[in-house]
Amino acid sequence: MEIKKVPRLASQFWPDFLKRKLTLIILMQIIISAAIGAVLVQAGIFTVDSVELWIIVGGFFVIQLGVNILIFISTASPTKDLIAAIINVAGEQPKLPLPNPNTSKNEKTGFRDALNVIYELSSGSGQVELKESDNTPRITAALSALDMTLCGFIAFDKNRKIVYSNKSAPVHKNSDGEKSVELLFNGADTFDSWLEHCKENSVHDEHIWYRIPDRLPNEEGRRFFDVIASYEKGTTVETVMTLIDRTSKYSVDEEDLDFISFAAHELRGPITVIRGYLDVLEDELSDVLQGDQSELFHRLIVSSNRLSGYIDNILNTSRYDRRHLKMDLAEDTVAAIYDTISDDMKLRAGAQNRLLTVKFPDDLPTIAADRASISEVFGNLIDNALKYSNEGGLVNVSAKVSGDFVDVSVVDNGIGMPENVVSQLFQKFYRSHRSRETIAGTGIGLYISKAIVESHGGTITVRSEDGKGSTFTVSLPIYSTVADKLKAGNNSNEGLIGEGNGWIKNHSMYRG
Amino acid sequence: MAIKTILCIEDDRFIGEMYVRSLKKAGYDIDWVVDGNDGLIAARNKPYDVILLDVMLPERCGTDILEALRGKEDLIPNTHVIVLTNFQQDEESQLAMEKHADAYLIKAEITPKKLISVIEKLEDK
Repeated sequence: MEIKKVPRLASQFWPDFLKRKLTLIILMQIIISAAIGAVLVQAGIFTVDSVELWIIVGGFFVIQLGVNILIFISTASPTKDLIAAIINVAGEQPKLPLPNPNTSKNEKTGFRDALNVIYELSSGSGQVELKESDNTPRITAALSALDMTLCGFIAFDKNRKIVYSNKSAPVHKNSDGEKSVELLFNGADTFDSWLEHCKENSVHDEHIWYRIPDRLPNEEGRRFFDVIASYEKGTTVETVMTLIDRTSKYSVDEEDLDFISFAAHELRGPITVIRGYLDVLEDELSDVLQGDQSELFHRLIVSSNRLSGYIDNILNTSRYDRRHLKMDLAEDTVAAIYDTISDDMKLRAGAQNRLLTVKFPDDLPTIAADRASISEVFGNLIDNALKYSNEGGLVNVSAKVSGDFVDVSVVDNGIGMPENVVSQLFQKFYRSHRSRETIAGTGIGLYISKAIVESHGGTITVRSEDGKGSTFTVSLPIYSTVADKLKAGNNSNEGLIGEGNGWIKNHSMYRG
Repeated sequence: MAIKTILCIEDDRFIGEMYVRSLKKAGYDIDWVVDGNDGLIAARNKPYDVILLDVMLPERCGTDILEALRGKEDLIPNTHVIVLTNFQQDEESQLAMEKHADAYLIKAEITPKKLISVIEKLEDK
């Protein structure tokens, strides 16, 4: 019995089909059993009213019916699975359990592939194929439009092969015609590692990288991109990479950085000689200097040390702004870090007639710090405190544990600041109202200090009262609380700043 | 290991003379060359205890010199190398040099007195 009418819903098909086929089987068995009975009676073997005849015919009917139903169930089961899959794909209320293509039986018989075709078609690729011919003119227009734009577009299939790239995309074709992306990602945060992560963990994901070059420095035609990648599991084009050409913006930055590096090199040359000979002569002339000469000599040393510090500030700010500032965090003590600048600070305090007291508890836990950078921060804060103190003023440096952090405070009793100044203090080139006329400085010391401290996963805070003085507090993570994260990140601070420190979202400082 | 002989490869005359003066006073034997090629030749011809190596040099830069001396094979296994520079290198170049050197120092931060204390520390190693 054939089905003449296509059911309106796929889910209606199966119960109707089942009903008709079972009726057919039962009818056929009744007819066949009756025919066998008739033959036996006609042949004169049994009479119509003999019990044996009914037993034989009845037994034959039951056995045949059972066998036929079993055969039917086994031959119809793939049809049932296909219908179930189609019902599911059609989005109808599933009245049949969804077949699993990966059973060992399906795998053996090859039926798995048939089911997979249905599932794959449902993911939309079938539609694309069907409609392609209708859309060909539009697709051609779209592709030529994409070739006109400065943005790059690259599409990858699920095997990460490039299935499309437009003209602007930094794509390299090898001799076999195989395409690959030409981008130099920094550190561990690469496109490949992100894609790997998506494959394992995501259905839909998006990621953005900034200032990614396609070639090494000094190579001809080097371009910089902001790269946006989108991932959608199961689609024909699983990953799309959009590249925005930022060469004009970023290459200027590179040149600036080069300029500042070279300028710093030029400035550091004479400073090396000045600081070097002052250090040598301080010893050699100690017996010769008279009156206030040795005090004046100290001022020379202090000034040259400061000059050197300011150049470091400028260089680091430039590197920080371009996300080139590198931190190498290691277990260290506050006292050992301060020790590297202690002589210089004492000299500076003495030269300005200030009293500097520094006291750290002996049992202070170790911190995770980049020694050179944190000593620069301490130097900046103490230098400020000395500068903004009054004649003979006291500057006090101390430390204590506060939760998972060590707080280092620099307290002065100097001129202080009104509230509206405090809020702007950490901006680049900000100089307080009074300092503009009376006190030298570049206005980047606190800016770079904040950047350094926060890239350690710490904070820098300030309390101040106009006319009474200021307290700057640097909180740095206790080493034991971050040791695991640091070890995992090879002593870079990526693990630290990834933890909810929202400020750094647009910065990744560890790119070389 | 007692340190006695030092090779200073430094093109800035003032800085070179300053190191020579201080290190001589401290009792070391110091040879000073100003260009990279001469530096490499000197380093290969005589077994120095310490080489003070600048990065930005005429003829041949410090990175190349270090690569030639310690890149493929270590031609100077008994020598300490102290890189001294005022030039802020990019991270990769700096790491590459640090790998083959005993110290990597910013000249502006290192006075002759501090340099001598660094050399004395190497002596204890």
